[in-house]
Amino acid sequence: MAHYIIDALAMLGMSYVMGFLFYGFYRQFNARVQRRWGPSVFQNFFDNMKFLFKTETIIHGPMFFFGPMIIFAGAVTTVLFVPYLKDSNWLQGFSHSGNLILIIYLLVVGPLGNALAVGSSGNPFGVMGVTRGLTRLMGLEVPFLLGLALVMVQHETASVHAIMAAQTDFAHWNLMTNPIAFIVMILPFMASQHASPFDVVGAPVEVYAGPRVEFSGRLLGVLMTQNMMMTVAKLVLIADLFLGGATTIWALIAKTFALFLLTAAVSTSFPRLRTEQTVDFFWKIPLGLGVIGVIATVWFPWS
Amino acid sequence: MNLVFKLLFLGLALTPAASLFSWDGAVAWSLFNGITLSFDLTPLSAFFMLLLAIGAPLIAVPMLREKSDESAYALYALLLLGMQLLLLAGDFIGFFIGWEMMTWSSYLLLLRSPRTDLEGAQSYILFNLASAFLLLAGMLFLYSITDDFRIQAVDGLLTADKLVLFVLFGLAFLIKVGALPLHLWVPRSYDQAPDLFSAFLSALMSKMGIYGLMVLPLLFPDGFSEISGRFLNGPVAGYVLAWIGIITATIATFKAISQEDMKRLLAYSSIAQVGYIVTALGVGSSLAIGGALFQALVHTLVKLLLFITIAGIILQTGHRRFIDLGQLISRMPISFFGVLIGIIGLAGMPPLPGFAAKYLMYVGLIEAHWLLLLAAMILASTASFVYCYKLIYGPFLGHANSPEAKTATEAPWQYLIPQIILMGMLVALGIFPGWAIDVLIDPVLVGLNMTPIGTPAWNVLATSYGGYDGIAVMGVFATIFVLISGLFFLLRGNMHRAASPYDLSFCGEVPTADTPLHYGAGMGRELRRVPLIGWILRHTTTGFYAGLTRQTQAAAGVIGTLYGSNPQTWLLLAVLIFAVTLTIQSVTGA
Repeated sequence: MAHYIIDALAMLGMSYVMGFLFYGFYRQFNARVQRRWGPSVFQNFFDNMKFLFKTETIIHGPMFFFGPMIIFAGAVTTVLFVPYLKDSNWLQGFSHSGNLILIIYLLVVGPLGNALAVGSSGNPFGVMGVTRGLTRLMGLEVPFLLGLALVMVQHETASVHAIMAAQTDFAHWNLMTNPIAFIVMILPFMASQHASPFDVVGAPVEVYAGPRVEFSGRLLGVLMTQNMMMTVAKLVLIADLFLGGATTIWALIAKTFALFLLTAAVSTSFPRLRTEQTVDFFWKIPLGLGVIGVIATVWFPWS
Repeated sequence: MNLVFKLLFLGLALTPAASLFSWDGAVAWSLFNGITLSFDLTPLSAFFMLLLAIGAPLIAVPMLREKSDESAYALYALLLLGMQLLLLAGDFIGFFIGWEMMTWSSYLLLLRSPRTDLEGAQSYILFNLASAFLLLAGMLFLYSITDDFRIQAVDGLLTADKLVLFVLFGLAFLIKVGALPLHLWVPRSYDQAPDLFSAFLSALMSKMGIYGLMVLPLLFPDGFSEISGRFLNGPVAGYVLAWIGIITATIATFKAISQEDMKRLLAYSSIAQVGYIVTALGVGSSLAIGGALFQALVHTLVKLLLFITIAGIILQTGHRRFIDLGQLISRMPISFFGVLIGIIGLAGMPPLPGFAAKYLMYVGLIEAHWLLLLAAMILASTASFVYCYKLIYGPFLGHANSPEAKTATEAPWQYLIPQIILMGMLVALGIFPGWAIDVLIDPVLVGLNMTPIGTPAWNVLATSYGGYDGIAVMGVFATIFVLISGLFFLLRGNMHRAASPYDLSFCGEVPTADTPLHYGAGMGRELRRVPLIGWILRHTTTGFYAGLTRQTQAAAGVIGTLYGSNPQTWLLLAVLIFAVTLTIQSVTGA
């Protein structure tokens, strides 16, 4: 029991620290691309603390309060069901009780819970943001899960541990053995992290509409915290599935950072798409590649 | 007197449970020419009988609230009798009798609703009669080649015969489950039927089509693989069936999103959810069949819960369109939780059992290597989040949009009791998915001569592709939720409610009571901008059926010219032909 609690706390702490450092780096990176100095790497941590220590928070009824709690519980549950390290007793959480499909579904439990809070706020712009988010989800989930399904078919299991164990060395990474699956799922994966150019849902800067329009103070802090942790959980999951997992914490940080850098590079390079353009893009390019992948790798041997 | 009728009706609703638990041994009843009517409770029919045994009393309880209505009770008696006959039948004669009783009694029940219009009633009876005639044609064809009506594996059929049986029976049952483009009667009748009868139609009667689709492969010793070989790890005929199911599911999901009426939305969502079951049946492996049965169970519970809750809302407010409701969360809290649990189950979210069903079906598709079908299924099930959200946002969140919605109170207890029971069942199934596998699904699989899925413990759903632990998922999520909420509440600082519901971030303006703030009806409208969805929503099957009607009328016009205008002439003609035929037959001694 004590092992589980310490392990869970370590996973959460690690996700949080990696989360704010990665996002801090992203802000630096973005600024340098735009020839600005940008804020410090710790800026996301400072912002998060600022929100969490605000004195005043306005709510719109009980459901409005519980929504951020559900999304936070969803994020923590996701973190605890993703194995962070390979061949180790530590940083495993409850990952032996779950599997890949469960994790994919856990990723959306929280946002749907939060959608209830957005709805109960009574702000139509918030609900508009939720609908956009669900529309984007509909677009990205199809190629994303198809890419992962190619991996599941390859290893004949849905267990993340088994897929990780099968990738013994660099030549056996799924990135090398099943590159088409990686290409199919990587862009939807970026969208699932709310990364630009697929980020019109959150409308971070210029459009005054999005799921978070009514949240303020400490509730906004909770939303920000869970977002950083969730991002790390998703990065670790993809590192587990395609980059062979990690046996040490340093390898884990290196691999997730590489994936994050790829996301950041794409984000800073492309202009934002509208929601329907996003969906159409995902159903044409990644899904089209996925169909080719299925025909080439699954149908072609006529197993 | 009133009370006596009500008690009798309640007893009637318990008959499926009685026949499920007290049935022992087969009954055979000899008819003419060596044809025997046989009735028996196989594991497969016991599973569907269980759904009926759960559903019938739960729908009966809220019905007791109204003044006793003897003729409706009598029709329900016929309906329940017909469904039990059809489930118990060991041959196609009993099956057909049960099927017809179900069709006619449900049609008369549908007619009793004040909302039923001619179009709805006609489409209901026409489609269901078409289904019955296809069934009749199928069973007569079977008799013509085997001299037997019994439902059993038939050896040595020609491929063409198998194909004819597959198409006739398949179409008959696909009409019943509302597969596209044979679904036209479903949204109309679910929408127009009395509110509680809609629950019966969606939760229980659509499952009879599924039962038929599961009986169909019993005719072939090797299942669907016999008809035209195999594709990857599954049968080719099943592949076709699976695509029919998933196209139905996808299109019905998008249609559901665009509905503006709660019951129509639920009707389309029924079509979609049953579409998943058809897909899983097409795969035909034990994982997929297990998933199909699990989905049938979950869909029954979820649709009972949702239709009963929605019936409560309609009863209390008199409104059924999303645009007329809103903000009922504080006035109807138990109904809110009913819809919440219902949509979590409908969307297949962990930790509720909808996820277990989805998981088994996904793994079944992955095992069969049918990945394109998997992608289509993911599309349908992700798109269903939108209508699920619409279903809870429209009535319960946002702003109240009509005087009735502003003053409504919680639904009466007769509606709440079934809701609470169903919520409890769904949560318990979510924690113990292995129990459903062990107790409900594995016996059916064994009865069908398939490998049981098996489970190490009742809280674990285990497959060869990995599984998950229901207690761990539910436990971790609930623990963290309670811990976080408690901790945050203690450290909430100065947290207070907004001064008025119009205290919103509204583009720098201050909305008033006149500002249209409820987003319920328009939600999902912007989805039409996605080219594929826009294309699907612009096209309907109504045009196809209108064309069919025109062609039929034209053909009837041509045939009508043969008869002449005087009915006596062609009556005489008919009698003469009949007499001549008889004479010829008796002369030749045929």
